[in-house]
Amino acid sequence: MIDYFALALGHGLLAIALLRLVLRDGLDSDPLIGQMKGEAADNRKATSIAGRNAARRGRESGDESDPALPEPSAQAAKR
Amino acid sequence: MLDIVFLAFIGYVLVLGLRRPFVWVLLYVYIDILAPQRIGYSLIATLPVSLIAFAAAFGGWLALDRKEGARFTLRQGLMLALLLYCGWTTGNADFPVEAATKWDWVWKALLFAIFLPLTLTSRARIEGLALVLLLSVATIVIGTGLKTVLGGGGYENLKFFVNDNSGIYESSTLATVAIGLIPMLWWFVRHGTVFRPHWLVTGFAVALTFACLLVPIGTEARTGLLCIAALGGLMLRYTRHRFLFIAGAGVLGMTALPFLPQSYYDRMATIAAPGGDESASTRVAVWEWTIDYVAEKPQGGGFDAYRGNRFAYVMPVKEVDGNTTSVTYRQVVDEGRAFHSSIFEMLGEQGWPGLILWLVLHALGLWQMERIQRRWRDAEDEPVRWIAPLAAALQMGTVIYLVGALFQGIAYQPVMLMLVGLQIGLNTYCARIDSAQALLERSASRRETIAGKLGGAVAA
Repeated sequence: MIDYFALALGHGLLAIALLRLVLRDGLDSDPLIGQMKGEAADNRKATSIAGRNAARRGRESGDESDPALPEPSAQAAKR
Repeated sequence: MLDIVFLAFIGYVLVLGLRRPFVWVLLYVYIDILAPQRIGYSLIATLPVSLIAFAAAFGGWLALDRKEGARFTLRQGLMLALLLYCGWTTGNADFPVEAATKWDWVWKALLFAIFLPLTLTSRARIEGLALVLLLSVATIVIGTGLKTVLGGGGYENLKFFVNDNSGIYESSTLATVAIGLIPMLWWFVRHGTVFRPHWLVTGFAVALTFACLLVPIGTEARTGLLCIAALGGLMLRYTRHRFLFIAGAGVLGMTALPFLPQSYYDRMATIAAPGGDESASTRVAVWEWTIDYVAEKPQGGGFDAYRGNRFAYVMPVKEVDGNTTSVTYRQVVDEGRAFHSSIFEMLGEQGWPGLILWLVLHALGLWQMERIQRRWRDAEDEPVRWIAPLAAALQMGTVIYLVGALFQGIAYQPVMLMLVGLQIGLNTYCARIDSAQALLERSASRRETIAGKLGGAVAA
């Protein structure tokens, strides 16, 4: 009887845990590392020649806002 | 009936794995620890469930996983070297048949521990592995704890799900593993994301901690008591009010004493007086034999080399006749006694090269976990504040395992090798965060510089 109780409890918790793991987003790719890499890629893109050209074109066309050069993210500044 | 339930659970996890193949890795962990094929007795015993799970885990990773951030590290290299060396000594073993039997499970445990960190590429995976490891052991511990409370304990009397003294179903091994996982259990109470902090989680953790502490009492495993002492000592480092903690532990211990059976006192008394106990006396004799053995054969004698030992020693034997207790010294001849220590197990079986590899593997783990703790202990952001406490829990688990390993031949214990895999996974994950952060900082500063230059040019 005790064995059955222990097996039922353990397997019940395992079943719930595995289901929750499968349903969550960050299982296969890590959100934190993904976010940092994404921000780094944005920065790289913005500092590339093409990015700078796009920014210049934006200014020449009279648009004061700079779509390719948003403020460096608060995350990056904090770190 | 039980077989059908196990098979249904395995089928359920296999289906879940179709969406996320990493779950198959966890399925192998569960099967390797709990061994449902040995708990059941009809259908499941005939199916190679372990092989199916390993094939699914490895095949799923190879074919379907993104493998982003998977790295082969120094500690995996050490385990690979140990695996190859063990293979070589098995080929040259003193007892080839017995050595082959042990090799049969050791290579699987080592190979899985080498493979495991390659799959641990995200926080959720690290937590998932830790949780499945914990819950699989907890399933055994809950049953053991309940039986102890309800009076079914006793040395070599307590019945587990499997009663062949193999793997984790050996009383001292279970005691060591159960105590070693307590710090990780409490990490889940504070930092778990699968089961988030909740009074139910805390209640479960309290009950499970109690059950873990009951394992050495229920099985009357002396090593377990030493592991509890080691856990107490380690917790001092993380306790703010140390004197209060020591006093509390003392009071708790004193309160528990009246509830312990006499047989427990009798058995624990042999820790201080090993001369009167055959199991303890032979340990010292086997260890001396091992040192002599490797002096002749420094490369080791392969698995189960202890079978070649034979020694005689004098042991006091108590005889009680009415009110009179007489002690006579009797010569005992022993042969083929097991090593009863992982240090001597490695030394005798794999010689100095094997022992050095094993020691370096665990020493590196302790050092890496220490480094991670120091690096991340001040991190307060939610995505990273779990790292230092997990490193601390894994480090404590290793120390407790090493204390237990001093008195048991558990050098290749699969659960402990999985903990090594978890440590490697955590270390690699932290290195990846550091590297991504460095990249981000570089790109951010470059961007600011260019933005400054462009701003200057526009102003001019």
